[in-house]
Amino acid sequence: MSLPPDFIVLCRDRLGIEEPGVDGPLVPREQVLSFASALKDELDFRFFVTVVSTHYPAEEAVEANEEKGTEAIAAKPDRTVVMYRARRLQNAERPTSIAAFQVEVPTGESTPSLCGVWAGADWQEREQYDLVGTIFADHPDLRRIMMPEDWPGHPLRRDYAIDTSHFPWR
Amino acid sequence: MGHEHADAVDETQMVTVGGVAVPLTLTQTPWPDPHLDIEAYDPDADMMALNMGPQHPSTHGVLRVKLYLDGEVCVKAVPYLGYLHRGVEKLCEKLGYAQVTPIVDKNDYVSPMMNELAINMAIEKLIEAEVPRRAQYIRTICAEIQRVGSHLLWLGTFGLDMGGAIGGGGSIFMHTFREREMILDLFEELTGCRFHYNTHTPGGNRHDIPAGWNTKVQQVLGHIGQRLTEYEDFVRDNPVFRARTVGVGIVDPVLAMDLGISGPILRASGVDHDLRRDAPYMAYDEIDVQVPVQTAGDCMARYLVRVAEMRESIRIATHLLDGVPEGPICSLKPVKLPGAVKAKSGSAYCSIESPRGELGTYIVANTERRSHAQPYRCKIRPPSMHALQLLPYMCPGNNISDIIVALGSLDPIMGEVDR
Repeated sequence: MSLPPDFIVLCRDRLGIEEPGVDGPLVPREQVLSFASALKDELDFRFFVTVVSTHYPAEEAVEANEEKGTEAIAAKPDRTVVMYRARRLQNAERPTSIAAFQVEVPTGESTPSLCGVWAGADWQEREQYDLVGTIFADHPDLRRIMMPEDWPGHPLRRDYAIDTSHFPWR
Repeated sequence: MGHEHADAVDETQMVTVGGVAVPLTLTQTPWPDPHLDIEAYDPDADMMALNMGPQHPSTHGVLRVKLYLDGEVCVKAVPYLGYLHRGVEKLCEKLGYAQVTPIVDKNDYVSPMMNELAINMAIEKLIEAEVPRRAQYIRTICAEIQRVGSHLLWLGTFGLDMGGAIGGGGSIFMHTFREREMILDLFEELTGCRFHYNTHTPGGNRHDIPAGWNTKVQQVLGHIGQRLTEYEDFVRDNPVFRARTVGVGIVDPVLAMDLGISGPILRASGVDHDLRRDAPYMAYDEIDVQVPVQTAGDCMARYLVRVAEMRESIRIATHLLDGVPEGPICSLKPVKLPGAVKAKSGSAYCSIESPRGELGTYIVANTERRSHAQPYRCKIRPPSMHALQLLPYMCPGNNISDIIVALGSLDPIMGEVDR
């Protein structure tokens, strides 16, 4: 299911992004709250679908290589990319459709929590914090939800050692 | 049905919120704040903290709810999850696309067919594989039969939640399990397994319909259709059942949408939303799915919606059985090695209508950092987890016994909540 046309117009007006990918535009952190509110209140994306956070380890800068024809790539910090999805329910005039947008959060920094926009983001953001380690600022109750409270690390991070034992077993 | 709930549909005043019609009466009360500190409540009240679960039989697995009680009335409820956390998403990353199906089977262990369908649809979208029409039909039929089985189990355990209010003791439980057994027998004949089928595979199905299976399905579904009438006679005018369910656990549809609650809970609160009709997948484009909607928003409405859904599923499955096309059941070669299914970099989100609501799977593939055969990130969106978020909003002001019934009517499966 591709992104709906009026959502693409919103991306252009608010963010200046012409063609968002399947996972939506990359929204700057300071604009996330206003963008999400506009999505919910102006475009009726009221049904909350999900939050997915994905961890990407740091990347070193690559210099341009003229012999191979490759372009220079800037260094990227260790970060998580958080994707939000919301749905608009169908009525007589429109079919149901999904909107998506992403936020990039460098490790150690935080992104505004969207609990105030969609109440359903509460547990989902807690889960992403617990498993991936993304910090959501102003979340009313940012505790671990799946793992024990004293668990070390965040299991779905790429740098989490999966082959070693983790104690204590619970 | 000659029943005031069913008759009330036309009289209910509707109001439009965000372009969706919702019953006016359900949207009147303000939502309680689930994060309010317990010290902020009435200091004179004789408050007691009570742990319900995680080993309580009516919490449908290992859910723990910490209830703050004033006498027998709940003031605040705090759910705790994670007692059944098995790290399925991490396992999916560690295993390949060809190996995840039997793992996700155990998520929603009451309707494994749905889990397989959801994750395989996402993988197929990622690897751009076609599903042959015959496999689409088999998947749709299995999904609908599974929906009947899942709702039957819910009806039986819902009777137990009410302390055997329906027919005394565990009667309805025994009756529904007898019928569910027939459905498990059908799946056993199709796939060789009674519970964790491992029958869906990227690109199609593993098991073709055996000879004579169609007739057996028609017989079983016809039989269950007749039994459903008996259950309704059991329940419809049973004064105990009505006293325990009518007006109990009312769900505000606007709050439900905000929390991401879909499926029978949303439809029982008057929102006409069903992915099988609104965003058809597999063979649902062949059939005009009728979506049952109730406007009372209480436990009784959720019961009525689920029984109507069982009838509709029986109709869909019976209708599709007659027209299963000939042809192959899988578009890819049979998978022999774990690395056989390969994907390019990209991402895919697919959602289906499971018996509990929108079951979604989101997969990221990243071939620069990960092998072609393994997902970089796999996220399963469990409908039960969103449904459980209702508890802090729904419990305050209710008796403990009503909380048990309201929790049962949400139909949570902890296997998929905790993953």
